[in-house]
Amino acid sequence: MARYKHRKRILAHLPLAGMACLFGFPFYWLFISAFKDKSQIFKLPPEFLPHPWMFENFVRVFQETQIVRAFFNSVVIAGGHVALALFLCSLAGYAFAKFPRAPGRDKLFAFVLATMMIPVAVMLIPTFVVLCKLHAVNTYWAMIVPTAANAFGIFWMRQYAAQNIHNDLIDAARIDGCTEFQIYRRIVVPVLKPAMAALGIVLVINIWNNLMWAFIVLRTESMYTLPLVIYLLHGENRTPFELIMAASVIATFPLIIAFLIFQKNFIQGITAGAIKG
Amino acid sequence: MRQGLWRRIWEHRHFYAFISPFFLIFAVFGLYPLLFSLYLSFVQWDGLTEIKWVGLANFQNMLHDELFFTSLWNTLVIGLLYIPPMFVGAFLFALALNAGWIKLRGMFRAAFFMPVITPMVVVAIVFSLIYSQEGGLLNYVLGGVGEVFPSLKIKPIAWLTSDTWFKPALAILLVWRWTGYNMVLMLAGLQGISTEYYEAARIDGAGLFQRMWHITLPLMRPVFVFCAIMSLIGTVYMFDEVFVLTQGGLGGPGVSGINFGLYLFNTSFADFKFGYASSMAYTMAFLVFLASLLILRLRKTEN
Amino acid sequence: MFSGMERSFTLPLVLVLLPGLCTASFGDALVLEPPTPPDQLEADIEVWSWNIAAASLKNLIPMFNEVYPRVNVRVNQNGTNMQSRFLLSLAAGVGAPDVMQLQVRETPRYSMTGRLTDITEIAEKYEDDFPPSFWRDVTHEGRVYGIPWDIGPGGVFYKRSLFEKYGVDPLGIETWDDYIEVGKKILEQSGGETKMLCIPHGMMVDLFEPLLQQLGGQIFDKEGRLAVYSPESLKLLDLFRKMLEAGIGANINSFTHEHLASLQSKSIATYPCGAWFGGSIRDYAENTAGDWGVFRLPAFEPGGLRTTNFGGSSLVVPDQCENKEAAWRFIEFALCTVKAQIEQFRAFDLYPAFLPAHEHPFFDEPEPFFGGQKTRRQFSLDVLEIPVMYRSPNLMEAERYINQTFSRWVGGGMRDTEKMLAEMEKSMSRRLGCGISPDSLSRRGGQ
Repeated sequence: MARYKHRKRILAHLPLAGMACLFGFPFYWLFISAFKDKSQIFKLPPEFLPHPWMFENFVRVFQETQIVRAFFNSVVIAGGHVALALFLCSLAGYAFAKFPRAPGRDKLFAFVLATMMIPVAVMLIPTFVVLCKLHAVNTYWAMIVPTAANAFGIFWMRQYAAQNIHNDLIDAARIDGCTEFQIYRRIVVPVLKPAMAALGIVLVINIWNNLMWAFIVLRTESMYTLPLVIYLLHGENRTPFELIMAASVIATFPLIIAFLIFQKNFIQGITAGAIKG
Repeated sequence: MRQGLWRRIWEHRHFYAFISPFFLIFAVFGLYPLLFSLYLSFVQWDGLTEIKWVGLANFQNMLHDELFFTSLWNTLVIGLLYIPPMFVGAFLFALALNAGWIKLRGMFRAAFFMPVITPMVVVAIVFSLIYSQEGGLLNYVLGGVGEVFPSLKIKPIAWLTSDTWFKPALAILLVWRWTGYNMVLMLAGLQGISTEYYEAARIDGAGLFQRMWHITLPLMRPVFVFCAIMSLIGTVYMFDEVFVLTQGGLGGPGVSGINFGLYLFNTSFADFKFGYASSMAYTMAFLVFLASLLILRLRKTEN
Repeated sequence: MFSGMERSFTLPLVLVLLPGLCTASFGDALVLEPPTPPDQLEADIEVWSWNIAAASLKNLIPMFNEVYPRVNVRVNQNGTNMQSRFLLSLAAGVGAPDVMQLQVRETPRYSMTGRLTDITEIAEKYEDDFPPSFWRDVTHEGRVYGIPWDIGPGGVFYKRSLFEKYGVDPLGIETWDDYIEVGKKILEQSGGETKMLCIPHGMMVDLFEPLLQQLGGQIFDKEGRLAVYSPESLKLLDLFRKMLEAGIGANINSFTHEHLASLQSKSIATYPCGAWFGGSIRDYAENTAGDWGVFRLPAFEPGGLRTTNFGGSSLVVPDQCENKEAAWRFIEFALCTVKAQIEQFRAFDLYPAFLPAHEHPFFDEPEPFFGGQKTRRQFSLDVLEIPVMYRSPNLMEAERYINQTFSRWVGGGMRDTEKMLAEMEKSMSRRLGCGISPDSLSRRGGQ
């Protein structure tokens, strides 16, 4: 009886593994294409293994593009953006959750949420104009700040804070004479950590892969981010796809590693209450 | 009355202090662009020459714009094609990964989430390979099936260039790309359901199906609603995937490959009609807003 | 949804920002009297162009600095889709480069905005050094705004081994009818495996526009009115219909996986395209070197024109530029000197628009990749005869619309061509807000 169940369980892994392969296939393709010779990338029927393994694609990427600088830029921008967004959203989210009788609270919150409905494409030009007036085009700030006040983020934080911060703790702290900001720092932030991890990962993925906005506000090669460098390898009629694949490998693996490391926190952050409200 | 209001505001001054950093940035980079683009819906502007006020003319033109309605129709069809399979798939995977006896859960979770992280340029190249008519991977597999079952008379399908098959091709891509994302959300939802409920049900003699119907689904409703609204917004404004499969809106089969997101983008950045684009965007935003309210109402009535 | 309060504070904000956004007045023409001596000209200039072109310009910088030692040139590599970025800079009045690369058929759209520098006074002396059809593209209302850089004169790339196998002599293909006959023959003898060319149903403009130019047809007339419903268009569509009905056209979009893979396989025999396509073949199918040749584009009538244009780019100077003289000198050096043009051709395969460069012996070198053929000289034949095509600013949107309409036409069995063109003209006229030309058959009572 136990053995039957055991075998059934092993078998159940198979379709799951099959699906995982299907889902992971493009990554596999990316990886091997990065090592292929130019003429092997586009062949029908396709070649599933490169021969020979062209490590020089990677060497050329380092020689012909500014990928190291771009990597640095991407890291700075992602780090700055996530830090700023997490700060803004956690502070405001906590406030929206735990100050129920402040006048106008609900209306303000509803307004912020409603703005999620407007597509980004339409706001590109006005946002760009604002940056021009602030003389902030082609700076890190141009990437870090505009989307930091994130409607999604504030929604997330408010949900989590509402579910998981106990009013008694806050009241006790107030009685003890803590300032509001100290309460935030010492009580709220630790509780919100999983939610911040979850939001953080979502934000990192978005800002790391962001192409359109980077394309518009970053002007000089020294400021380009990774997706931009990859995109700009495209030419009018001739594109070095082997370099694009190699560069994409370099650009994507940090995300994969980050996800693998922070998975558990990510799930935890979503689980503990964000959706139930 | 006024005095009472100001006093209450002062009482809650920390609230306003805490939300002000957020709102400051929001006002500059969220609110102002929003209002400016709303203003743009009443003008004609190509970005380079003068802004010309035209009142409601954009909205009137929209009503006669055949391509606009075609794009909406396409968006609807695409949504209907990919959202159900994606939801079902995400739910099944979430159930599977929630079961305690599956090994390597972390690796499976990561594998299913990979598509969300894949850069679009890679998606473009890989799916161009998969969907090629002669010798593409999908047709290769179909050809194999055709040899085993000759009575089915399977021919190579022109996935990306035929009117009938483009939307299914896009739907497959979307299911691939977003199932993992929804799966993670649903997994979180499942893990939030206390096992006590299941224990009690099992004691009462409820079977697998009954447990699903009476416990799991109702308690997952908030997650489902959230995913539904996110999918709605994502589908209406979807741009990247369509752009990539139609080679920038140029290579799709006639008009059947143009969804609203692509049409909006082309109107702004290819045709330089910013006023018209804004008017369309706000109209759709309003409709999406109404639809979201409807979905939320579903949740409220059950609670 | 929006209260009166919001509306009333938007307007003042908008008015504050408007001046930065809307000056459509045309700048003064650039005049260099007296011109600064080369070794004294000092400036930092920034150039935007896309990958191969950018590499080519970077390559020229040392040569340029020999003549103008104190001008620092920085070349920034952009993707080809830099419209949004360039447009935003023009709109905001800030952030545009000193020199900008544009696709030659898009140049009129930017010229008419008044945001490019009028270089007529200093550039018109070069007018005769460029083919008239290209020179037209960089002018607007008689004023010059850019210089043509590279061009794509037409030819047909073919695979020698396939032609040998099926006994085809490329020199025997003189008209499109000959071409179709050869296509049918190859199709039959290969058992349906080899098609003559790619005709993408959804992107027919890529082939339609150049061949329309070959015929002397127009999409727009001189005043920007629609003229696409014309005897030339009908003739061309008839040609496509014949090709598709003969089954010799494969429905493959350019530069997709399938298209690039076909370069190495036997599925497609020929590729009518511009000279630059040779570079693409070299990139993606290096291992087929020696197996390629080029024959002249078939004519529509015996003895007719056997070339046309498939693309190209130009360089312009945005009006915002603060170093106009330096910017101009760079453009002049790169595009109006034989030395620089040949260097770009040699190193990066950019076919010169500058006619004096065509005299250079480089054009007569045999090329091993093409089995020893001298394709460069062949491409330059009759370049002066290429008819002018009027490119309205609405061209991009028109092209998309044409693609969609033709795709439906093909899907519907390619019937009722006149009706299709007439209706297309009408709806395009509505969408683009431009009139229909008196030259169009719609105005002349149909055909």
